[in-house]
Amino acid sequence: MSFEIDYFRALETPRLARLGPNVAAAAFPLMKLMPARFILDQAEKSGELKAGAHIVETTSGTFGMAVALLAAARGFRLTLVTAATLIDQAYQRRLERLGAKVVALADERGDGNQSGRLAHLKAIMETEPGVFWTRQYDSAGNWQSYARLAELFVRSMGQVDWLVGCIGTGGSLCGTGTFLRQVFPHLKIVAVDTHRSVLFGQPLGKRMLRGLGNSVIPANVRHELVDEVHWVGAYAAYHQTHSLLRNQGIFMGPTSGAAALVGDWIARSNPDAVVAVIMPDEGHRHADTVYNDDWLAKLSDWPCEAARAPETLASIEPRAEWEWTRFEWSRRHLDNVLSAQAGPS
Amino acid sequence: MPVIANNLGSPLLAKLPRGDAIAHHGELLQGVFEDDHGGLHRGLVTLPLNGLRSSAWIELDAGGTLGVKPNCRVKALRAAKMTLEHLGNPNLGGRLVIETDIPVGHGYGSSTADVVAAIRAVAAALGARLLASTIARLAVAAEIASDAIAFETEALLFAQREGKVLEHFGGALPPFVLVGFKADATAGVDTLGVAPARYNSEEIQLFRVLRGMVARAVREQDARLLGKASTMSARISQRHLPKRHFEVVTGIADHYRACGIQVAHSGSLYGLMLDAQSATRDSISSITTVLENAGFQDIGVFPINTEEISYVL
Repeated sequence: MSFEIDYFRALETPRLARLGPNVAAAAFPLMKLMPARFILDQAEKSGELKAGAHIVETTSGTFGMAVALLAAARGFRLTLVTAATLIDQAYQRRLERLGAKVVALADERGDGNQSGRLAHLKAIMETEPGVFWTRQYDSAGNWQSYARLAELFVRSMGQVDWLVGCIGTGGSLCGTGTFLRQVFPHLKIVAVDTHRSVLFGQPLGKRMLRGLGNSVIPANVRHELVDEVHWVGAYAAYHQTHSLLRNQGIFMGPTSGAAALVGDWIARSNPDAVVAVIMPDEGHRHADTVYNDDWLAKLSDWPCEAARAPETLASIEPRAEWEWTRFEWSRRHLDNVLSAQAGPS
Repeated sequence: MPVIANNLGSPLLAKLPRGDAIAHHGELLQGVFEDDHGGLHRGLVTLPLNGLRSSAWIELDAGGTLGVKPNCRVKALRAAKMTLEHLGNPNLGGRLVIETDIPVGHGYGSSTADVVAAIRAVAAALGARLLASTIARLAVAAEIASDAIAFETEALLFAQREGKVLEHFGGALPPFVLVGFKADATAGVDTLGVAPARYNSEEIQLFRVLRGMVARAVREQDARLLGKASTMSARISQRHLPKRHFEVVTGIADHYRACGIQVAHSGSLYGLMLDAQSATRDSISSITTVLENAGFQDIGVFPINTEEISYVL
């Protein structure tokens, strides 16, 4: 009898939740463990990451938490560079309990100060040799790690016809989609983004739906894989997040709610197809907000009607938080779509 | 041309202890796979072909030297010696006879079949019963790399250089009709003469997905899913050990709505996998005609895990 030594493999494995007759979702407790473990494993194997080394990354999100869990268990030092606007006290305390050093930079523009964070990170790397940067935005290990998710989908669902997932770094959707499309060339890939994220051509603005979309475009976002884009507003996502708990018994975060909303609509619109959805986060971090009626009551325009179907856009534009829009991306590069949008119609 | 199991029992051999082993038609999947501890292993899923076989007879004596007929079957001889040793009789000698109807050098696994038959013959001679896993381990020890035919028609992921099972898929392959052929019937491939492929990390990750598809295909007896996995495995193999006319073969597969194709990853075989329910004598006949006209050789039709024998032309 030999025991599984690396239990993180089990921790990163999602449960499969059935959302409808032809749609199932991979419900992750902490999806980013999958790329974080893969990136660290590869770096350890190649010798790039030495025992006890110092790891750095520019996130306070779930990738930061995943690296913090791994760094603590495996004996690495970790510094996470974030922005004051992006981190709450409880999350910071949890990261610090794991031994991570959290550097929260000022963020006067309110856009996450990604350039300031990168400059800080590079300064650490220049002054200290042997530092390892996990590079979740452009590391090939990020997207390649999701072959495990593609494997889990095919083991439990067989042929997959549609893949629906949130997009932030592009790793999970583009990675899972790359592997599934090689064996199922007809696979349709649906990206779930939110209003005022720049990933699919919207102008930069303040995003209310935390953890979805991005203010910069990571190299791991491969637009040419994507068949259609949905922009889900925060309120539309909150409704579906509540519904997941009430109707499916799963306690997920609002980005998972956004993915479930789109996945459910795709499945209803294509009843003969098999639809796989990626739900990246649990609800605990949102217990005091999305799951708290007092917090919700203070939002402007809340309560509102739950969106039942997306509005198809001809020209890409941001909308209100209760709205849900979609656009036929048709596997084009970002430049092609933007120039078509700018040109005469 | 379908091949029927040989019927070699000459009156002299009939009295001797005997072992049989089946052939295979290359692999459905071959690549590098992770174990439960993160270690990587070369592994494969064999496509067993139980219509072709190798038989071994052995006559043991205390003479100490063991000979083989035909004397070119040195791997089978080595396997017989190792089995004698394994079973605690290293000093016995005698005469090993191999007779086979498996063509050599075409990826039918002729040498492993000889080896497994020899191991079984020795075990029979000594009245011993060997587990499939032991036979597989002995086979690998005798010939460095071995396929999984010691497990007969059980579907599994086998580490061909270590002789261990990476995953039992829990049953036999789904039913389908295999149309096997070669692009060049004169070109034999020496399995061990081929350097093992160096896969990149994206390919190794893709092998995970293919392994998952095979597991699902066996559990649900889904030949279409199996065909998609084996086609992708053949495509990856094509980057490392290219076969002639690959795109012609995939084109024919698409045109006839085959489940997919499979190849002998270190041999020269191609296989078209046809859905067992919809394949008819006529449709198979038109496919073999197209293959013949395209210059493919040694065309054979093999029902895999079906009760039907009416596909035979």
